[in-house]
Amino acid sequence: MMEFISANMAPIMFGSLIVFLLFGYSVAFSLAACGLLFGFIGIELGLLPSALMQALPLRMFGIMQNDTLLAVPFFTFMGLLLERSGMAEDLLDTIGQLFGPIRGGLAFAVILVGAMLAATTGVVAASVISMGLISLPIMLRYGYDRRVASGVIAASGTLAQIIPPSLVLIIMADQLGQSVGDLYKGAFIPGFVLTGLYVLYIVGVTVLRPHWAPALPKEARTIREPDGSSGLRSLGVVVALSVASAWVFARTRPDTTPTDELIVTSMCVGVGFAFLLAVINRVTKLNLLSKMAERVTFVLIPPLALIFLVLGTIFLGVATPTEGGAMGATGALVMALARGRLNLSLLRQAMDTTMKLSCFVLFILVGSTVFSLSFQGVDGPKWVEHLLTSLPGGQLGFLIVVNILVFVLAFFLDFFELSFIIIPLIGPVAHTLGIDLVWFGVLLAVNMQTSFMHPPFGFALFYLRSVAPVDDYTDKVTKAPVAKVTTGQIYRGAIPFVLIQIVMVGLVIAFPGLVSSGLGKENKLNNDEIMQQLQQDRQDKPAPSMDGLMPQPAAPEPASSPSSSKSSADDEQMKAVERALQQEAGKK
Amino acid sequence: MQPLLSFSRLIDRLNEFVGKWLAWLVLAAVLISAGNAIVRKAFNVSSNAYLEIQWYLFAAVFLLAAGYTLLRQEHVRIDVVSSRFSKRTQIWIDIVGICAFLLPFVIVATRLVWPVVIGKFNSGEVSGNAGGLVLWPAWALLPIGLALLGLQGVSELIKRVAFLKGLVPDPMKKGGGKSAEEELAEFLRQQEVAVREKAALENTRKSAQGSTK
Repeated sequence: MMEFISANMAPIMFGSLIVFLLFGYSVAFSLAACGLLFGFIGIELGLLPSALMQALPLRMFGIMQNDTLLAVPFFTFMGLLLERSGMAEDLLDTIGQLFGPIRGGLAFAVILVGAMLAATTGVVAASVISMGLISLPIMLRYGYDRRVASGVIAASGTLAQIIPPSLVLIIMADQLGQSVGDLYKGAFIPGFVLTGLYVLYIVGVTVLRPHWAPALPKEARTIREPDGSSGLRSLGVVVALSVASAWVFARTRPDTTPTDELIVTSMCVGVGFAFLLAVINRVTKLNLLSKMAERVTFVLIPPLALIFLVLGTIFLGVATPTEGGAMGATGALVMALARGRLNLSLLRQAMDTTMKLSCFVLFILVGSTVFSLSFQGVDGPKWVEHLLTSLPGGQLGFLIVVNILVFVLAFFLDFFELSFIIIPLIGPVAHTLGIDLVWFGVLLAVNMQTSFMHPPFGFALFYLRSVAPVDDYTDKVTKAPVAKVTTGQIYRGAIPFVLIQIVMVGLVIAFPGLVSSGLGKENKLNNDEIMQQLQQDRQDKPAPSMDGLMPQPAAPEPASSPSSSKSSADDEQMKAVERALQQEAGKK
Repeated sequence: MQPLLSFSRLIDRLNEFVGKWLAWLVLAAVLISAGNAIVRKAFNVSSNAYLEIQWYLFAAVFLLAAGYTLLRQEHVRIDVVSSRFSKRTQIWIDIVGICAFLLPFVIVATRLVWPVVIGKFNSGEVSGNAGGLVLWPAWALLPIGLALLGLQGVSELIKRVAFLKGLVPDPMKKGGGKSAEEELAEFLRQQEVAVREKAALENTRKSAQGSTK
């Protein structure tokens, strides 16, 4: 008996973890307790050194010093402030009006606004609730199919998970020891492709089942031109002018400008130009622009400004991803103040929720650190590696198995738990198999997005359920009776989008270029230079990891201190860069 | 039981108080971090002390809030299985969880951390970065946070036992009023939806008038 236990500690420990977690007590402490129990058993059996747990204080201190995870409260706080600022509602209104007159227009508007909210911040609940309250009633009023309407709202809300800046990418970067900036860049194209697939699905619906997604009738339009025209021509002119100004600006830049910087700065110029036009039009009352054009421009400015503040500064190398989050949160604060939406109780509530979220997330990490101390002690990682590398089909076999595993686990676990428990186990194996970890992280992030949409536990469905009508009601505007939305309809509506998600996972596996092409050229730098830089850094013990590499925009984003486990940020940074270099070399 | 319950209420009040004031550190961390980025870009100076204070604040927020988060029942759990059980069984799960999972972790971690904290305090060690901060206050956050968490664990235990005896209402209910999501939904319903419905109504009326003209 004892021999059996000591020979199979790793599988027994892993099996116990599942039992501990399903027991239903807090994940953080279940993880820690499992680690402590097996640490104790291992020490008693003489399998583990008695000083095993002595490493715990340093590891906990490592978690405290983790600059990457600092971004979690920042982005959460930003999202909480934004959800009350009225930005989402204005966007839904205006974009809905813009696309409403075409078939499936409201659904397109929901997808676009979902993607745009996702690019400003990454809170699924807020997007789903806003869209469920603002767009769902309008869709029901004009006869949308309930499954299509609820599915598109839930799915568009989950775009926040994959389009940067998202929390899941931050945690993934931390757990895989990669830079957040790289994961952001890598996730950009897949995020947009996914948005495109959603749009394609709706296009398919409008072609095959036109009555499922009808166009808005004329009387539903709230933005009207005095002359009764649609005002679209004027909007087209504004768009053309701003694109032209951005293009002209881009042409004047020297060729050496990095692609990221070029895109970010030219977009700023284009958007700024449109804004200028709209302001001139408003101030001088010239009525050169249609109401629609003016309104669309004004409504798009706040989200675009925030996107610039966060992603723009990160990609330009002005701010680290963590500081980008702080800038975004400050921007959201200023915006909410400017719109008169912020009061003390709202601010307190946002801070309170942020604090509780950071606390439970970080304690899951503390718990998983305790677990992994013992698990490493009993050679768990080796067991997992052996298990996964012996799969038939090499890399591809591994990827398929891992993705099925994550997909199934996503029915029960949310992404925080998935990333803290599963990623430390499979990340090293992926690395051994020669898989690019940035790509791997993005792939898993796309997969984990389904954890929000899986019936019956998916959070997005749950939030939508909480705001969708539960009783039949009479519509206030048309005075027509509207039937309630049943839970079954919400579940069935999510299924096509879960399938799209699986297709997307397949696409990322089949075309790795979707991720790597987003990484841009500034990564191709002289390896020797970095090594020199690092040597220097080591010698003069520079500022914390963020600062060490900042002055050289050419260098990859500082690797911050990944995977909690280590104590010295400098060593960690060194290792991460060395790893990156190896990968770089591997690619060539 | 009554003295225990008053002890539990005392602990609840303590963590409530900590949570209430600690939350402001979130705002402080945000502003300092944004300030760091701006100042570095604009004036090309950066201070290690200000970079370090970011994570000092962050660590304070998540460690010291552990007890408060427990009080609010916000440490997530996987309730796929347990949500099917009766209320009493769920309470028993919590009692076992607190005694077998939470408290042992708190005790072991505190015992491991304590000597290190004392060591750092005595040595007065400063962080390795030029102009860095003294390390022991950051280290001290660990035992303080664990203590607050352990105390809250005891309080939750008392409340659960008292519930089984029928002395207090359900302690598993999330305290502190509604969840953030519920609050948001309510806020939107009141403010936004009403305004927008009104606009849509007026609009239909206008277009109806327009067509009769």
